[in-house]
Amino acid sequence: MPDLDRHLPAIAAGDDQVFARWLAGAEPELRMALRSFAATADTEAVLQEALLRVWQVAPRFTPDGRPNALLRFAVRTARNLALDEVRRHGHRASLDAGDRECDALAARDLPEGPDPLLRRLILRCREQLARKPRLALDARLSAGGEPDALLAERVGMRLNTFLQNVGRARKALAECLRRGGVAVEEVRP
Amino acid sequence: MTDPRAREALVEAAAGAWRPRRPGGGVGSHPAWHDLDPAGREEAYRAATLSRRLEAALDPEGLSSTARAVLARIRGP
Repeated sequence: MPDLDRHLPAIAAGDDQVFARWLAGAEPELRMALRSFAATADTEAVLQEALLRVWQVAPRFTPDGRPNALLRFAVRTARNLALDEVRRHGHRASLDAGDRECDALAARDLPEGPDPLLRRLILRCREQLARKPRLALDARLSAGGEPDALLAERVGMRLNTFLQNVGRARKALAECLRRGGVAVEEVRP
Repeated sequence: MTDPRAREALVEAAAGAWRPRRPGGGVGSHPAWHDLDPAGREEAYRAATLSRRLEAALDPEGLSSTARAVLARIRGP
């Protein structure tokens, strides 16, 4: 069973390429762990902050011997950060079933890296996108966290047009995948 | 929020991976997220979840725009 902790020694030594491989496997689980906070905390900001803290703490992190220890630490960090955000905005919240969900990650098979068949299908769907949605999607893909206003300018669109095209690209890709027999909920890297 | 186009733009902006830096260096929340009602925030979460799955599947290294944003912060300018 793939255990993302196999990357831990290299991550602890500061290898950001290996951290990237860990990220590819960990991010979907982390995002899912934050779903109950979607209406009360900006989960994207929380997720990125949690990942940065994982990177900072990794050199001192001691695994507990069960699989995916670093991922479970990341989930707890992310959920605690989300809780802080919720309380900062004056809402009430508790972690409820979080520990059980976190423990379940120790027994999960976490795929890492793209599925070649799915990737081929998605690439084919991308080729079928209209020019503007494809331009917007490609700009987001290569962004590295740059603001949308900058990306919109780069592809010669007004910000609102750019955002509309991002949404169109996502919907068209999802529809194309459905036609190809892939349930978009099951799309994983 | 009554204008559907303005709402759609807010959802798409909040569903992106760009986030401002806080003064201490932390990751701040997106201004658009604060302008959305709870239903709009849920919609932004679902859009982000699907977008990141598609992005990661399209990327040769399996990285989404979130992962690339985090790596950009780690690696610096």
